[in-house]
Amino acid sequence: MPLRPSRSAYPLSWRVLDALEAGARGVWPARFARGVPWLMLAPAILLVGLLAVSLFEIADASLRTLDTATFLPSEEHTLANYARAFSEPVVLAVGLRSLGGALLVTLATLILAFPYAYAMVRTPSAAWRKTLLIALFLPFFIGQVVRAYGWLILLGNQGLANEILGLAGLGPYRLLFNYWAVLFGLVQYMLPFAVLMLAPALSAIPEEVEAAAGSLGANWGRTLLHVVFPMAKPGFVGAGLVVLTLTLTDFAIPAILGGGGQDFIANAIYDQFFRTSDQGMGATLTVLLVLVGSTLVGLVFALFGAGTLSLRGRGP
Amino acid sequence: MPDTPFFLQLSRRRFLQGAAAAGSLGAASALGLRTAFAQEPEKPAEIIVRAWGGSWVEALKAGVSDPFTKATGIAVRHDLTEDNEIQPKVWAAVAQKRVPPIHVNWDTTTNATKSALRGVTEDLSDLPNLAHVTDLAKPVGLDGYPIVDTYGYVYVLAYRPEAFPDGPPTSWKAMLDPKFKGRIALYNDGIGFHFPAQVAGGGKLEDIPANMQPAWDFIAKVKEQEPLLGEDPDFTTWFQNGEIDLACTISTNAREAKKNGIDVAWVVPEEGAKFDTDGLWIPKGLPENELYWAKKYIDMAIGKESQQVWLDGLGLPGVVPGLTPPADLVGDPSYPTKPEDFEHLIRISSKIQVENEADWFGKFKAIMQG
Amino acid sequence: MREARAKRLVIGALVALSLLILSAPTLVVLGASFTAGNIIAFPPDGLSLKWYEKVAGASDLRQAFWRSLQVALICTIVAVPVGTLAGLALAKHRVRFSNALQVYLLLPFTIPLIGSGIGLMLLFGEAGVLGSLWPVGLAACVINLPFMIWAVTASAGALDPDLELAAASCGAPPLQTFLLVTVPAVAPGIITGSLLMFILALNEFLVSLLLVDARTVTLPVQIYNSIRSIITPDLAAISVVFIACAALAILALDRLVGLDIFLKSK
Repeated sequence: MPLRPSRSAYPLSWRVLDALEAGARGVWPARFARGVPWLMLAPAILLVGLLAVSLFEIADASLRTLDTATFLPSEEHTLANYARAFSEPVVLAVGLRSLGGALLVTLATLILAFPYAYAMVRTPSAAWRKTLLIALFLPFFIGQVVRAYGWLILLGNQGLANEILGLAGLGPYRLLFNYWAVLFGLVQYMLPFAVLMLAPALSAIPEEVEAAAGSLGANWGRTLLHVVFPMAKPGFVGAGLVVLTLTLTDFAIPAILGGGGQDFIANAIYDQFFRTSDQGMGATLTVLLVLVGSTLVGLVFALFGAGTLSLRGRGP
Repeated sequence: MPDTPFFLQLSRRRFLQGAAAAGSLGAASALGLRTAFAQEPEKPAEIIVRAWGGSWVEALKAGVSDPFTKATGIAVRHDLTEDNEIQPKVWAAVAQKRVPPIHVNWDTTTNATKSALRGVTEDLSDLPNLAHVTDLAKPVGLDGYPIVDTYGYVYVLAYRPEAFPDGPPTSWKAMLDPKFKGRIALYNDGIGFHFPAQVAGGGKLEDIPANMQPAWDFIAKVKEQEPLLGEDPDFTTWFQNGEIDLACTISTNAREAKKNGIDVAWVVPEEGAKFDTDGLWIPKGLPENELYWAKKYIDMAIGKESQQVWLDGLGLPGVVPGLTPPADLVGDPSYPTKPEDFEHLIRISSKIQVENEADWFGKFKAIMQG
Repeated sequence: MREARAKRLVIGALVALSLLILSAPTLVVLGASFTAGNIIAFPPDGLSLKWYEKVAGASDLRQAFWRSLQVALICTIVAVPVGTLAGLALAKHRVRFSNALQVYLLLPFTIPLIGSGIGLMLLFGEAGVLGSLWPVGLAACVINLPFMIWAVTASAGALDPDLELAAASCGAPPLQTFLLVTVPAVAPGIITGSLLMFILALNEFLVSLLLVDARTVTLPVQIYNSIRSIITPDLAAISVVFIACAALAILALDRLVGLDIFLKSK
């Protein structure tokens, strides 16, 4: 009698896996093992490649000026747009406003996100944890624009906030249409992202480690500073980078809560592409913004070490 | 792929050739369309018309789209993308030789002129109803009819009557009153405000565009008053929430806010107010039969019956003689009908506007964002 | 003891502040949707359901919502394998040029959305694929991909390299180790990431605006366009319907796998 494994001993799923395994070996023999990480990265690199290719087109457009007699870009390449961008003080002013705003928003968001993520991870109550999670996800569903209009209603001159202040005999104050209103709106928008990036990093820190530090006489502040923060560093870097880059390139909140006088660089880009039809200038500002943003990202990685977002214990 | 120039498929030379060809064909094609009416080309299931949302599209639907569907059986779908935002989409489609995303674009004449200069518009000289329209329908400074203007509007000085117990403001200089600090609003790009600012700043309209320093000086003074900058819906929201007392905005928005129960009134101040037009145009690249029906749509829009209903909804003066103004706008300065009504209105040719708009806008931004 | 109370007080206060900030606009929109008046106001100007009636009667909104769901689905289906593989590669392996690679993979966040939108519109236009929904889903996937990658990388913190070694030393071939040991270990990250991708795609408007036409318009684009002319309470009502759907989805998720999965690996 031939030896046949019984069905139950060798279930279908195993056979499927074996076939896959054989297939994988055929396509990608073991001696290519060193290439495996790149193979795993390839789809993502290709997908982002769509943006990289568009960036080339945008870079090409940035080298052409607009002819307002025909509204066509010039045929020859020139650096005139860049010269204009660097010579106009308003570009610098708006750029610095975006950059400063992005840094402030990142700081404020992290300060708020840490206790939120910490409470969510550490609370013993499942109901409380769910509440915190749901409160995090729901604002996503009303979208940035409608949300900003919610703030207009709440913080307006005749809004709820001023009415409450009025009960205390204060105000009314102009709470909207200034730099701080924009920053506030951005913090609110970014907070859920930051918490979601931080929470896994915090949940990876065993509670016992904190308890141990406490029992060794470290007060909570010191435990945070010397134990929790360093261990959660990848989470902080990840959250910080998300907030920093998304704030730097945000468009809707400065437009609505800034009352038009607090443009970020993305608003200037919008104006060039959509209002003055100057694709070249819009492309120029886009290229400059990507350069600044990427430099910042590179700087953060350089400061905090390569692969910060990857694992502790795998460092050099 | 990267060496395909961005937005650049149509060289200037080809554009000029195209324009010349369009001009010489003008006479012949007028005949062509008329014969074509006899044997109508295949009807598409629907045509897409870009429109502004809210009361704007409601008015267009009642006045033009619904009657068009009734007459032809072709459904009309409205694309509510902003005029600014549809522009790069249409331009890219024409440059890439794709079928454009819309059949008819309802656009500001300034924006439409840019598209006409770029050569992405179809010539509309052969519309039968053009025989019955006023001069307002003809775009100034362009050959033929790359756009058909359909009505005019005024950038009025809108105000909250509550804030003016001693009677309405008479001058744009009211914006400089310290008590309105932080309580005035202008369009994001300053549109509608540059020309009256030129007068209010002591300059002359004839100096536009050569010397607009008076306008910039006046705008710099207004900047000290910390104005809010926004778009049409912002004005309504701001008036409604009591954020502003004064704004330079299109009369239609002020009227719409008033209809919604917000206490708003408007004037044309002594320095005058900017008068401009909106129009309809058809992007290049449509299949022959769809182009035909898109033209029929525009032709209907400049017919008297359509104009009456459509423009009653908007509260704006049309391009057909003999329209009856809506009851609430009889004698209103923002609804000019007689030549003397136009005396206080400032009209600058689209050509000068499009050539200089980017600079004016940049200058305005530099003042406001500085 | 006193310190423990101080700690709870500080955290409690900051969390309460965050909760207030997070929920306030949602509550305002919720309230404004029930207004009897014609403009968005809070507190609402009388109570009525008339704006919900209007939304329920609008078939174009329903179709747009349906299209948004498809876009979100396409985005998530692409993002999950791509992001999981990339996230694990970054977390488990030391890749050369990883600094440059990270900067590259963050391009979706460093390029302003308007730039991405214009660029993708030209690219997809050149390829002749505009007019279908999948390019919109693909675009939503690209511009949010870092979230998927990072969600996986972050939860790989819970991944014990010894576990994989154990599997391998028991004779499990690499692919089996990967599918049966590695992937389940990062499941919380995959779920968080895919949910985030789904939600963000469902709400994407700035890039989609340039990629859709009147026949393929998605709900957020429709809302964005309507808001540009006048803000009426039906927009608030749509948002509330959206929130209700979201709440139902979250509830279902809780029943099925438990919300704790976001935070803890099994």
